[in-house]
Formats: sequence, C-alpha cells, structure tokens
Amino acid sequence: MATEKTDVVIVGVGAAGGILAAELGKAGMKVIGLERGPRLTTQDFDPHDELRYFQRQDLRPNIKRQPITWRPNANAAATAIPVQNYGNQAGGGTVHYGAVSWRLHEDDFRARSHTIARYGASAIPEHSSLADWPLSYADLEPYYERAEYELGVSGKAGNLQGQKIDGGNVFEAPRRRDYPLPPLRLDQGAILFEAATRKLGYHPFSTPRAILSEPYHDRLACTYCGFCQAFGCHVGAKSSILVTKLPEADASGNFKLITGAMCHRVNSDNSGRVTGVGYYGPDGSDNTIEAELVILTTFIYDNTRLLLLSKTDKFANGLANSSGQVGKHLMAHMMPNVYAVFDDRHVNNYMGPSAQKHTIDDFNADNFDHGGTGFIRGSQISVGTGNLQGGPIGHTTTAPPPGTPRWGAAYRDYLAKSFTRQVAMVAQTENLPYGDQVIDLDPDVKDAWGLPAPRLTYDWRRPNELARVEFMMKKMEEIGRTMGAAQVWRAPLGPGAPGAHHEGGTRMGSDPKTSVVNRYGQSWDVPNLFVIGSSTFSSMSGFNPTLTIQAFAYMSADAIVNRYRKAPGSLL
Amino acid sequence: MTKHDEARRAFLLGAAVGAGAVAGATLVPDALAQTHDARTTGTGIGPAHSPAGGPGLGAFFNTEDAATVAAFTERLMPGAPGKPGARDADVLNYIDLALAGAYADLQYFYRRGLASLDAYCRKTHKEPFRDLSAAQQDEVIAALEQAKASEFSWPSAAAFSNTVRTHTMEGMFADPIYGGNKDFAGWRLVGFPGGQMEFTAADMQSSGPFTRLPIVGLQAKAG
Repeated sequence: MATEKTDVVIVGVGAAGGILAAELGKAGMKVIGLERGPRLTTQDFDPHDELRYFQRQDLRPNIKRQPITWRPNANAAATAIPVQNYGNQAGGGTVHYGAVSWRLHEDDFRARSHTIARYGASAIPEHSSLADWPLSYADLEPYYERAEYELGVSGKAGNLQGQKIDGGNVFEAPRRRDYPLPPLRLDQGAILFEAATRKLGYHPFSTPRAILSEPYHDRLACTYCGFCQAFGCHVGAKSSILVTKLPEADASGNFKLITGAMCHRVNSDNSGRVTGVGYYGPDGSDNTIEAELVILTTFIYDNTRLLLLSKTDKFANGLANSSGQVGKHLMAHMMPNVYAVFDDRHVNNYMGPSAQKHTIDDFNADNFDHGGTGFIRGSQISVGTGNLQGGPIGHTTTAPPPGTPRWGAAYRDYLAKSFTRQVAMVAQTENLPYGDQVIDLDPDVKDAWGLPAPRLTYDWRRPNELARVEFMMKKMEEIGRTMGAAQVWRAPLGPGAPGAHHEGGTRMGSDPKTSVVNRYGQSWDVPNLFVIGSSTFSSMSGFNPTLTIQAFAYMSADAIVNRYRKAPGSLL
Repeated sequence: MTKHDEARRAFLLGAAVGAGAVAGATLVPDALAQTHDARTTGTGIGPAHSPAGGPGLGAFFNTEDAATVAAFTERLMPGAPGKPGARDADVLNYIDLALAGAYADLQYFYRRGLASLDAYCRKTHKEPFRDLSAAQQDEVIAALEQAKASEFSWPSAAAFSNTVRTHTMEGMFADPIYGGNKDFAGWRLVGFPGGQMEFTAADMQSSGPFTRLPIVGLQAKAG
C-alpha cells in the first residue's frame, strides 16, 4: 500500500482528463493521472484486425470484469449489457472512437426555454426533466475553437461569424474561425448521399471529424484505410488524446500517469473537503493519493458510481449529492438505421473513416418546424457503415433485407453481392432526459474489484422518442430511394436499452438544489471536487458529445489555473 | 507445415468429409477472379479422423462433435462452385481453436448445445445431426432458430444457433491467423481486400470493384 501527495489527482485520462492533465501540468501544478487500463502507442495499432477490435472490442471495457447492468424499469431484473461504448485505456474513448466532432447548436443549450417559447410548455413531455444548460453557446465558443485547433479537426465552416456558407453545415452555430483542416475526402456513399439530399432540398456536408485531412502539428494525415471506429489509428491521424494531449502533459514535467489503477473511492474529511482518492493497483494493493484537488473524468458510470461509493457520515447520501440528483437524468442516443443496396455500382464502403461520413442537419435540434410531428428535438442523419463498421464481419452483424434469410445459400449470395454495394444511414436522435432514467449501484452484480456494478434503469420507448425515430426512418428511406438504391430497408429496433453516447448522472445547472455541479464541473457541495464529462450534460443534442466534453475540459482548466488556484473555493 | 499441423488438418478435414460437406468449391469472386489459385480448389478429401488419443486430435472438439459443427456451419454458409463456404474457409478450425482459447468460457455452452442438438435430431429423425441430409439439417436449424426445437434447456435452441452463426461468420471473415478464412476464402467471396494500409483518392473515386492486389492479412498476402 502506497501513499503519494500531489496538487491534483485526475481519475480517468480520456477525452477530458487528458486535456486537464496537460493544461494543469503546463501551468505548473503537480498532476497524477489514474487510468484503469494500459497506455498504448500508435505502433500498437498496426494490426488491422476486425475480429480483435470490432467484434471482440479489444479497446473497450471487458464486460465480464467490468459489468454494467440494465433494466427497462424499476420492476424488472437487471442484466449485463453486451457492448460498452467507452474506452478502457489512456486516451479513453478517443482511442477507438469515430472522431466525429460537433459544436452543439445555440438552441441545444436552452432546449427547454426554446421549446416553450416556440411550441408552448405542453410540448415538453410530462415526465421529461429537459433543462437549459447553465451557460450559452457563446460562453463555450472560444473553447470549441481551442479544441478544434489544438487537437486537429477537419471540416468546413457553414456559419462563419453569421455568414452562411454552402457546403458547410448551414445550421451550425456561428463560429469565429473556420476549421483548421479542410474536410476529409468523400467516398462513394458520401457522393451518392450528397447528390440525393441536395436533390431533396436538404443541406449536406462532410461530417467534421478529429481526423487529419492533411499533415498537422508534426502528425500524418489519414490514409483512408477504413480501420477507424473501434480501432486505434495506425498512423496517428486520429486526434486521440494519446497523440495530442498526453505528449504535452509528459513534456510539462509535472504529470505522472499511473496505469492499471482502479479508483474505488474519493476520500473526504469532516470539513467538507475531499482529501484525495483510493485506488487498487494491478497487484490488488489498496493505495492512497492525497491531493488538494480531485477531478473525476471517467465515463458517466464511474463518475456517478464513485460519488455514490464515497459516502461518509457527513455525506450520507453520497459525495456531492445534497441535491439528490447524482445518478439522475441518464440519456442515450438511439441510432435507427436504414440500409440501401445498389444493383449496378460499387460503393466499397470499407474505405475511409467508418462513422457518419456525410451528414444533413436539416432535422436536428429545432432546425425545422416540429408543429404536428408529435415530438420535440431532432436528429442528425448521416451515411456510413452498418454498425459503424465497414469490414465483412461488421456486415454480417447487420440485418439483411426483408425476404433474405440470415444463413444458407441465399444469405451467402446476398453477402457476396452486397458487401461492396451497400451503405447504411443512421439517425442519431436527441432523446430527452427523464427523471426516472437513472444510474445507481446494482445490489447483486459486482465487478472484478468487488465493487457494485453501475445499474442503468432506462427505456427509450416513450411517445416523444418513438415518434422521432419513425419520422427519421421515413426521411432515411426517402434518401435511400433518391440515391437510386435497388432495395431500401429498416434495421429492426432493439429493446429499450440505451444506445450510443450515454450521458447524464452528474448534471450541471445553475441551482445547487437541482444540479450536482456548476458550469465548470465544480461540485456545489465540495469546492475542491470537479466532475467533467458528458455525465454533466443537461440535455444531449443530436450530436456526438466528445468535442463538447473537450471544450468543457478546456474551460474548466482555464478556470482552475487562472481563478481557482489563486482563490480556492466556489468559482461562482 | 509441421507434423502436428498436418495431423490436425487431417482431423478437421476428416470431420468435414464425414459430415458430407460439399466438395470441390472454387473461389472466384467477381472482383478477384484473377487471383484464383489452384491451391484453393482442393476437394477437401483427407484421411478419416483418427481414434481418440492418436494423432489428429483437435484443440477442443472430439471427432463426433467436430463432424457435427462442420456440418452445421456448412449449412449456415454452404459452399458451391465459385462460392466458398464454411468448409472451404475452415470455419471448424476457427471455432475449435477459439473454444480452446479466447472463447474457453463457452466450452460448456457448446457441449450442452451439441448434446441437445443430437438429442433433438435423434428424437425427430432417428439420426444425429451430422448424419442427416442437407435438407433435414436445414429443417433442424430453422427449428432451432425459431425456438421450436425441444430437448434444449440451457443454452436455448435460439441462443445456440445464434452463437454458432456468429462464430461461423467470424470463421469466414476474420483474419486467417485465427484459423479460418483459409487462403482468404471469405474475403474472396465478398470482395474484401483485407487490411489495406491506404486507399487513394482514385480508389475512392471509383464506382467499380477494387481490384488492386495483394489481399493483405496480418501474416500473409495473396496475389
């Protein structure tokens, strides 16, 4: 058992933790980062191995060692979810993610008040806990820009200081600067999607991605190998934390990374401050770090679980939980898919970055009139690969068209023909928060360290969400037919389990009575404890969360370095 | 090939032949027809499987279970002239090695599932699965998939058939280092060029088949 002292301990060195480690280290603070998994390098990703990385999820948490359970409602039994969509190594999810990098819309930050203003209070479903964020897009804009430029994001501006630009996302919030890198190259699916959606009067554009379209900051450009989402990048062109912020943290001389470290507790004293953390080493040892500042930047499950596990006599409800809001308002994107297969042309969908290649934003957020649709908020619609994977194993995990069996000679012939001729469209729907969608501690299931597994109670199949999915399915079918596909069909919808991009659990807000942290991720109850990541999101938008997580990490780092360090205490 | 490898291949081929798998499939996918290679046209005829304890043992399955799995997977992905199937790709070898390694926690799942399958087939057709005709085997697999087969408890008939299907697809399309996708049979079937390190702008501009060789695997390339 070891005890170390430091200025700052960061638990989880991923999308947010990596940025904080580098920025605080560069500012002269002594930082220790705890990471549950290993630290890999670019050369570890040489093998282009679909079985290992896509099918067996080698860069994700092991579901037997680290189970997460789910139940549709409080009366049902919880069972372990089969795939966990977050990272399990230094760099976290940025190592294996598809690198799709959005700024949220202006109205995403005030989804509740905007909805009420345009459609009336009755438009918000009765049990939804939809809330405005405690800050505006304009507050976060400089940090979005910093993330795009420091990490390296490829795309084309669609709204430069209010001027709309065709070919970019004309629905995006105004940006002061264009992307640092031009858009990634279009593949055949993107070319077909671009033409079809223009014909339908929509506004297609190349999805902004944290993947280098050109060499940048001494890093190589994308080779379009296609082993992207679920894989680490073999040339380091994906702007993961491994190749961006960790080298900066190392160079600061103030950062120490401890891998194989499972944090199990945040320690606190009777004064109401946290004093550090406890973690299990790879040999099972129980170790302590004493720190002036504790920053939790794990995925939403552990951000929540650590607070619940760290209860004391003083914090009987769990740490930072005087509001009773810890674990509440779990959200997830649903990802309805429509497939389109062509008779007379190849699309060779295994080429290029595999996630959300080309996009329309016409039906996202409140970018269109929802009157009469039966739902609020929207969805981004993209073309890409089925199950975000362009290889042949991935293809066999998608549903064949109606009338084609899942095995036998007819299935073999379908695979042989469709593998190079099929695309997938996906809608990423903004599911609303609801107060009964929660994360708590499973009373029965324990992980490999003996800690209770995080348990999700969640069912997306609510009237507002079902209506939104149906609307988007119809739009995608329309696009598929306009692309000239021979056959267009819907993938079946799963049960009510949460889909991609789980968010919520330590909600940020303006009121300590109804939220866990402030806009900086600082606990209202414990000022030397920060929680940063998508666990703090007030609502989820129809966009992938990572760039927003990273913008918040930059904003919090600024606040800690320039204000908190001089006057430790509440930043508000 | 080491002596052990030869004996192991004989075991697996023997199982496939014993299961009445189709012979003589060739591998000529549309995009890669010119890569067709005589070594991929073998008839699959090998020595009959050896008695337990002698040379030719698999990593996990006994000879009867190997024959059953070979037959089952061949019905899921049947070979035909120009269209390689599970036997051509050595899917049995993939599953056998996986159950001895990465999927060792599924050994009991397979043992129980195979025993239930045999019991169901003996009850309905008076023969074990491996000795049924292809049409009867298809009928049985359909019953499993639709959860209409008796004799299963854990794993359920649907869970068992779904798992074998998943593993069959892995054996067809995973890199050959895992023991299946022999000579890139699966990749040739669908026109996948393997783990290419780069696609050029011209490659992505094309709406035709990608034909540049070689096909790239982790330890082997094929022209």
